[in-house]
Amino acid sequence: MFKKLYTKKQIIKFSLCFCLAIFSHFSLSESFFDAGKSSVTIISESDNVSENDFLLVGLFFELEEGWHTYWKNPGDSGEGASIKWELPKGFKASPVLWPGPEKIPFNPLMTYGYENKVILLTEIRSPKELSESVKIRANVNWLTCKEICIPQEGKVELTLKKGPKIINGYSAMLNEAVLTVPKPYPLPFRVNTLDKKIFLQFERQGSEEISEVYFFPDEYGLINYADEQKLEKNDNSFSLELTPSELQVNKTDLMGVLKIKTGTLEEFYRIEIPLDNKTTHPLIAMSLFTGIIFAFIGGIILNAMPCVFPILSIKILGFIEQSHGSKEKLFHHGVIFSAGVLTTFLVISSILIFLRASGEAIGWGYQLQSPWVVSLLIYLFVAIGIVFMGNIVFGSKLANFGVLAQNRKDLMASFFTGVLAVIVASPCTAPFMGPALGLALLQPGLKSLVIFLALGLGFSLPYLLLSIYPQLLSKLPKPGEWMQTLKQVMAFPMWASALWLAWVLSAQVDTQSVFAVLLGALFITLGLWLLEKTQNSETLLRPISIGISISLLMLSLWLIPTNDDNDFNLSEDLNSFSTEKLNSLREQKKAIFINFTADWCITCKVNESIALDQKTVKKLLDEKNIVYLKADWTKKDPEIASILTNYGRTGVPLYLLFPPVGEAIMLPELLTEDLLLDFLNKIN
Amino acid sequence: MKYLLSLFILFFINFTSAAVITDFSAPNFELTNSYGEDVSLESLKGRTVVLEWTNHDCPYVAKHYRSGNMQNTQDFAQKEQAIWITIISSAPGTQGYVIPEEANHLTSSRKATPHHVLFDPEGTVGKIYGAKTTPHMYIIDSKGALRYQGAIDNAEKEFFRINDFSKSRNYVKEALKEIGLNKPVTNKTTKPYGCSVKYKS
Repeated sequence: MFKKLYTKKQIIKFSLCFCLAIFSHFSLSESFFDAGKSSVTIISESDNVSENDFLLVGLFFELEEGWHTYWKNPGDSGEGASIKWELPKGFKASPVLWPGPEKIPFNPLMTYGYENKVILLTEIRSPKELSESVKIRANVNWLTCKEICIPQEGKVELTLKKGPKIINGYSAMLNEAVLTVPKPYPLPFRVNTLDKKIFLQFERQGSEEISEVYFFPDEYGLINYADEQKLEKNDNSFSLELTPSELQVNKTDLMGVLKIKTGTLEEFYRIEIPLDNKTTHPLIAMSLFTGIIFAFIGGIILNAMPCVFPILSIKILGFIEQSHGSKEKLFHHGVIFSAGVLTTFLVISSILIFLRASGEAIGWGYQLQSPWVVSLLIYLFVAIGIVFMGNIVFGSKLANFGVLAQNRKDLMASFFTGVLAVIVASPCTAPFMGPALGLALLQPGLKSLVIFLALGLGFSLPYLLLSIYPQLLSKLPKPGEWMQTLKQVMAFPMWASALWLAWVLSAQVDTQSVFAVLLGALFITLGLWLLEKTQNSETLLRPISIGISISLLMLSLWLIPTNDDNDFNLSEDLNSFSTEKLNSLREQKKAIFINFTADWCITCKVNESIALDQKTVKKLLDEKNIVYLKADWTKKDPEIASILTNYGRTGVPLYLLFPPVGEAIMLPELLTEDLLLDFLNKIN
Repeated sequence: MKYLLSLFILFFINFTSAAVITDFSAPNFELTNSYGEDVSLESLKGRTVVLEWTNHDCPYVAKHYRSGNMQNTQDFAQKEQAIWITIISSAPGTQGYVIPEEANHLTSSRKATPHHVLFDPEGTVGKIYGAKTTPHMYIIDSKGALRYQGAIDNAEKEFFRINDFSKSRNYVKEALKEIGLNKPVTNKTTKPYGCSVKYKS
């Protein structure tokens, strides 16, 4: 077949030369161009073209043994062919349709291209009016490489006659080439980033053994070309692990070509999908300037949030008490307080940036993901409430919360009041703050520091203003009895915050651990009461009660749950799968959802992170009264294995949804939040 | 614990990864130049340094020199008080590998003005910097921070059609100018284009 074509091509070439000789009409172009090491021929599906029609035209490259030319993305080096069309008036050429490429490794680099031969296709559109004969010409530049590269350049042209399309000797070849152009992937696929790797996951039907899967990215700066792409096979789904490139150049989409090889058959599919749904958030559109403004306003509003307001109102009380004192001192305290606030924000943001750089998925309040931090905050809020309620004095006789005094030690106290204010503010988010912080966490280091600083400035603005303009204080009521009352009243929002945190904690650890922390809070209260009771005592009682208080504090710290494993919120023991449990639940006519998973199964982990762990899913499970069971196959378990076999599976993931009565529904291997919710909603 | 672990991993990765990150400190190296002298990056601290990966037989490099584009960029760097270092990572027996005399001859015949031509036949430095193509350009500022890496210009798509590069956007000149003015570099990382570096396999 090819031999035949070749002779035909030579005939064309020959006859063209012949014509040239006869008419001595000087033209450099013909349909075939030999550049040495490689040649290019322009071919079309028909020698005729009618008005307002599409004509498939190809540039057929033939390369010498061992030589290659490049795909549109050449990989680490090289360059794909470039074609400039010279078309008669009214004609239009489509962009090049590139066939699926091959990997051409050049250790330690990786390039993408074609060996032996390739046809680059273009669709030419003819206009409404046509002359009897038209010439289309392509100026082609391409690279032909082995170990070394040769830039090549040629002009090829084709004469078309006006008339209906008639299939010629090239049309079969061109149609064959069309099949190698990537087409959309027909089954569900998705992408997820996990542990600094990009996972492209796709479903597949059919029993043919897949021998190779490879993803060719469209552009530079998305993935590392030379790294191996590991494939995880499940029953009907696959996960391809891609290494992001060391120099990521702002990529939001995964775009490229997926090659699937079964036996000798190679299929190429187009993949275009947003890289991470979480990052395609509208707040990216926010400019840095808006971010700073939002952070600043958010900071001001943060003062009024229930977890911060009490601390700061007490601080203002201190200002009022001192409003008759030295203005200069007042100013110092205001500035030092703000410095405390800003320093703490800087420390927090540096930690966030650092963690982000190490690939942690974090946000404001990320610290609340740790039961340790939540428990400590509960203690802190309870303690502050007690201090407000009572009359306790720490350390020196004067350094009460918020009291302004004259010496250096009290300036320190102002600084730490600032630190404390930010710490207690950490569980709170004010309006405007969310989007600004979201932006901050997506920005490079310095810019996110600036946004955090704006937040801190907004936060300390009221006190700075009061310190700079003490006359404002005269607008506030005069000091008096009411201040003591206000302080006591403020204990309640503190305790309310503690209650809320206890609720947060209850979602992270089991009931017993929450109880232990509440008990710890009681011990702290007791310790503080002892300290207050004996604070004016000169007897042995004082050291004894201090000793007891310290022991109580240690005891309550010991009571904090050490379980740092905040992996999954659905408590493990209660939900772990067993056949007996399943049978008994089935007898009780309960709806059941079983997640067959394993720690080493990437698909399972991705499903958990994007679907199962979603709040909406948990809520719906609760509402519908569906029992959640987790069958962990991390260690081989014959009981689980036999169920998998029953459902025709040899491995995880498997998701089964049992309605109260009737057969189990088998969910797809690749879950999304919507898909899972749809299935759950079918249960009555 | 998880955080500590990720910090640990972060450091680990930084030491093993075969690429350099723009705005971070550039890894030091010491190689022999075409006059047999050892040159280290550290000894050049205080000066802006331009690194140019080259292979004189690569058609991309050849065209950059034939058209005067590379020499022109070198002159510009000289005016900006920068040190220009040309590095050859071609392994012996591969395209672009030259002995010192040839290297000096190439410099004079092409009227090039590098301060040093360094030999990296083992490819160690090339791999540390992640040099993929010839040419592949890097700029290190006087404090030792890498400020630019990538192509010399944006002429990739038109490369073999044009002969005059004065209309292309020269990323190296732009970055040198910005570094000179103490400004952040606008295009810190671009896609390098050219022939593959002929590393020892």
